[in-house]
Amino acid sequence: MATNIPGNLKYTKEHEWTLIEGDTVTVGITDFAQSALGDIVFLEVPEIGTNLKSGSTFGVVESIKSVSDLYSPVSGEVVARNADLEGSPEKINEDAYGSWLIKVKINDAAELNNLMTAEQYQEFCNSSH
Amino acid sequence: MTTLKTHLYDEHVKLGAKIVPFAGWDMPVQYTSVKDEVLAVRQGAGVFDVSHMGEFFIEGDDAEAFADYIVTNDIQGATTGKAVYSPLCRENGTVIDDLIVYKLSPGRVLICVNASNIDKDFNWIKSKHQGFKCNLTNRSADFSLLALQGPKSFEILKPLLNELPDLDYYSVYESAFEGESVIAARTGYTGEDGFEIFGTHETIKALWKKLMSLNVTPCGLAARDVLRLEVGYPLYGHELNDEVTPYDAGLGWAVKLAKTNFIGKESLAPKPSRYKLVKLILDKGIPREGYPVLNSQNETIGLITSGTMSVVLNKGVAMARIQIDKVPSDEVVLVDIRQKAYPAQITKKPFVTGGHK
Repeated sequence: MATNIPGNLKYTKEHEWTLIEGDTVTVGITDFAQSALGDIVFLEVPEIGTNLKSGSTFGVVESIKSVSDLYSPVSGEVVARNADLEGSPEKINEDAYGSWLIKVKINDAAELNNLMTAEQYQEFCNSSH
Repeated sequence: MTTLKTHLYDEHVKLGAKIVPFAGWDMPVQYTSVKDEVLAVRQGAGVFDVSHMGEFFIEGDDAEAFADYIVTNDIQGATTGKAVYSPLCRENGTVIDDLIVYKLSPGRVLICVNASNIDKDFNWIKSKHQGFKCNLTNRSADFSLLALQGPKSFEILKPLLNELPDLDYYSVYESAFEGESVIAARTGYTGEDGFEIFGTHETIKALWKKLMSLNVTPCGLAARDVLRLEVGYPLYGHELNDEVTPYDAGLGWAVKLAKTNFIGKESLAPKPSRYKLVKLILDKGIPREGYPVLNSQNETIGLITSGTMSVVLNKGVAMARIQIDKVPSDEVVLVDIRQKAYPAQITKKPFVTGGHK
């Protein structure tokens, strides 16, 4: 498990991936997370304009049998949500890194230092599961 | 607390199953995908290791009379070779468990009970045993149990057993697999055609391996829960518990008040019910256990007892316990999902029609 961890992304302990481009951070859930959840059937993400706080819940992902909170990796404003996933959240199972959830314009670039590198995340997955 | 493992545990691990604690047991919750496992059972065949469930034997002249006395459904009226689903109730009418009584042969009855209730049930039944000429034994530790479910079950199982007639639904037959005795019943918990097969640990392990070699889909507890919920079957600890009567859980049909005597008859005669168990279907949102059910005035009138995304319908479905005098006449309620109200339709029919005989 958890062999698919792209090197160009940064990760959280809540099994989210982030792609950092300037002051915009794209957020999704990792391949490890989608595999642990199983068949994803429902996704709830905030409206554009919502202000998120790092570490707080910003949405929900549901598999057939479970409900899991999504935790924001950074603080900032939601500037985009992935319309492709509305009605077909199972795309996350098919391609976790191609299925981003939201884009956030960050308030505090220093928060990015809290994110894990691919190597650190690999180690985290190995040690905690 | 240490958890128990079925004798197939290593097989599940080899197949890559996710294992979770359930009723004191380490059980496979899913192998590949809940969705694929559900569809395998609806369309072909899947097999579940349900060896955690309990088996009691009642043997002797009064075996049927005793079984009839302790449960609410009619055992003595059923012919030998039949299986009967029934609640097991206290004198006050509350439900101790739900179970299946198998009439194996004259003077020989098998009762299969929920894993979480084995000790509770056995102690209860034992305490009521006096005056009946029969022996009661808890053989749960001696038996493993597979549920082979799905429209292809009969054609898969028939050539494997010594002999297997095309049994009626809820019938039982004693046969053999590779020379070892098994009890095969046309029962299950999925709404599909299928069999539950009881045998010794080694026999059942060999049967499991045989079914794997025939590419029967191994299925976990998650798929089992979705399957039973799609056809509206209650589950102890959810729709049924120590506080409710069979009437509270839609099981009035399994209380046979015409029987001369049975435990709970006096209390159950007026058909006591404080709740109505309803089936709900949602166009949007997935109902989960414990979510409040509201009426159009936003008054809480009940709780979801089990909920899931239906694999077959691709919609949220649930069972809910609603105060009996608060069921709206238009049969529309609201489910509170994370502080947002989602409309839900009360439906009488099962969400999915299983293909059992």
